Amino acid sequence: MHKKTMLASAMALATMTAAQPVAAQESVFVGHLADMSGPTAFVGKMYADGVRDALTYINNTGGIDGTALEFETIDYAYKVPQAIASYKKWKSRNNMVAMQGWGTADTEALISFVAKDKIPVYSASYSGHLTDPMGKNPKTKKPAPYNFFYGASYSDSCRGLVQWAAQDWQEKRGKGKPKFTHIGANHPYPNAPKAACAAYAEELGFEVMAPVVISMKPGDFKAQCLSLKSSATNYGYIGNLGGSVLSLVKSCNTVGTDLQFMANIWGGDRLIFEAAGDGIKDYIFPTMGPFWSDDVAGMALVREISKVSDPAGEQSRVHHYMRGVCSVYYMKEAMLWAKKNGGITGENVRNGMYATKDWVPAGLEGVCLPATWTAEDHRGINQVNIYKGNYNAGDVKIEKVTEVTLERRADWLGF
Amino acid sequence: MSSLSMRPCGDFRTSYKQDNTIFETKTIRWFTAVIIVAACAVPFVFDAYYLTLFIQVSYLGIAALGLNILVGFTGQISLGHGAFFGFGAFASAWLNTQFSIPVVLTIPLAGFLTMAVGMMFGMPAARIKGLYLAIATLAAQFILEDFFARADWFSGGSAGSMAEPVTLFGFAFDSDESFFYIALFALVFMYIWGCNLMRSRDGRAFVAVRDHYLSAEIMGVKLNKYRLLSFGISSFYAGIGGALYAHYLGYVSAEGFTLMMSVQFLAMVIIGGLGSINGTLMGCVFMVLLPEFLAGGVGLVKMTEWGNTPMITDGLAYIKEMAIGLVIILFLIFEPEGLAHRWQQVKNYWKFYPFAY
Repeated sequence: MHKKTMLASAMALATMTAAQPVAAQESVFVGHLADMSGPTAFVGKMYADGVRDALTYINNTGGIDGTALEFETIDYAYKVPQAIASYKKWKSRNNMVAMQGWGTADTEALISFVAKDKIPVYSASYSGHLTDPMGKNPKTKKPAPYNFFYGASYSDSCRGLVQWAAQDWQEKRGKGKPKFTHIGANHPYPNAPKAACAAYAEELGFEVMAPVVISMKPGDFKAQCLSLKSSATNYGYIGNLGGSVLSLVKSCNTVGTDLQFMANIWGGDRLIFEAAGDGIKDYIFPTMGPFWSDDVAGMALVREISKVSDPAGEQSRVHHYMRGVCSVYYMKEAMLWAKKNGGITGENVRNGMYATKDWVPAGLEGVCLPATWTAEDHRGINQVNIYKGNYNAGDVKIEKVTEVTLERRADWLGF
Repeated sequence: MSSLSMRPCGDFRTSYKQDNTIFETKTIRWFTAVIIVAACAVPFVFDAYYLTLFIQVSYLGIAALGLNILVGFTGQISLGHGAFFGFGAFASAWLNTQFSIPVVLTIPLAGFLTMAVGMMFGMPAARIKGLYLAIATLAAQFILEDFFARADWFSGGSAGSMAEPVTLFGFAFDSDESFFYIALFALVFMYIWGCNLMRSRDGRAFVAVRDHYLSAEIMGVKLNKYRLLSFGISSFYAGIGGALYAHYLGYVSAEGFTLMMSVQFLAMVIIGGLGSINGTLMGCVFMVLLPEFLAGGVGLVKMTEWGNTPMITDGLAYIKEMAIGLVIILFLIFEPEGLAHRWQQVKNYWKFYPFAY
């Protein structure tokens, strides 16, 4: 009996010693949900590339102060049940500390789970109601204390565009009230800023017209363009993305509408300009960072990160890629903070997001905009950079129009 | 051959009642009971990943059984089942938040509300069939999808709707471990109900309508009544499944209930076996596990040195999507009667072993 006890103690000691390196956090797990084959794959793939390359690059260059980032990318094709199953798997099997997410449907489905499990989620859904962590605004459906995203919310970027439009109307010396129309599918993602943006447009003196519904899939939208034409809309906000936007621009050119298109963050990129060709004219869209060809300090690091999946360095990335990189790097900085302040756990990573004000991840100066998250306000970015795109005989010309900084109004929190 | 009874020698039936039991033999009955009791221990043994898969099987399985009652037993068709599932989810959340009705009650109530909506859309079913009916139900899908995005008062519109967890005597079933029991209870209850329905007069009427509507009418089966009833029951099941889904997630968003979901339900009943209650569950398990297995395959390839490049892993992600389509096609060609039939053949094989006949 005595021998057995001795043996058991020795074994327990050996196990504890062997377990030590795990406790010292050699690696932490980050889940990555991506849509590369579903309805939002048009931009989902590029964003996912940014996230994957950034995670790999961090690992290749020493991880989080020596702690490697284990990660797995799952293409959930925008199917909520698969997103939940992946989340549960990562949570129970891999001891996930943070997640890089994607769409509105899955991010919202996971709000309660991640809040309970204390796992910060960095989504690419910029829905305004993810910005209220404590449910302070009565309009907030559900407090989202563990949800973050890099960028201005859909509502805020639409407000920024409306501000620009108001100024543009003055400069053009337009007569009477300018008319504003929301164009997009009747779907949570395009609809996310609809009410918020319309309210602000009215505040700024726009006449808000009835929204025009176009499907998320490409199609013939001449009928919708005719109704835009007959209502004499001056400014049209596009809530969709990819092929649907292309079809809209082409249909409206055929019909001969005379309105200023303003796209949401996913609705304007080089690929659309190249595909639309001569049809695109003075197309306004927001970004949350620079373009591939821009000469800013942080682009050197982005180019290095890009070499992870493109060793030759020939590929030029669209700005969605940069947002993926920024999303990962804010998480990285929060993890660095967490490591120094009690270890990389979900809760500490979240606290790491609140630790600094107006911060840009090291090495990405000029790429990621300075952001501030607080325990009461998850509107990290309130700046919207507005660009104008044109296509001239094979050459895509993109120029910066203005920068709009939105105030952090209490009634806009979570709306 | 496949319809041969698996009763052992000497197990004679002397009454109609004995011939119409849910479980064919005593062994099967005991076996099922043991499985259900054993399932109660699952949360103590398996982790949250397995539990979430089981919970998925249960809420999708309940809804799929509804569709099988409509398609497999009554011979109707519906391409709007996903939307009815969504309606149940929103209805339960709405009843709970607007009228403060406890969630245990809103789940069945949501079933009845969905039943009403299903019967409304099923009205044309009394007059039309086949392709025309398919298109009519497709309309239901689109109308309801649009309704979810517009009806702020009901579904919260684009912002979605909150769904409180199930609470019973002050205990909140808000973890995977606790919700598992709710899901298990609902699954067993709804499947037993489904089995009993099929043994009842109404169930036999459904089958009669499916097999030959003219003969059924001549026998005195009211075609319109039973076609509509079948729509109602099918929607009821969809509503219950949807409500469970809502209270499991705690949040319902209109994005999830697309035509793809309806097609997925159809795939479940086709793969499982049209007109088979066991088969529905098998098809549902198959459809829930297939993407997980394929994702596992992608994971294995990623572990190899040559496989861990975005080109290959992304390519496999597409294969994963295509595989689901391929499996459906293969089933239609090689096993049109579904997994239930295959299972029957496996049983027959063992019964007659070592003889082929």
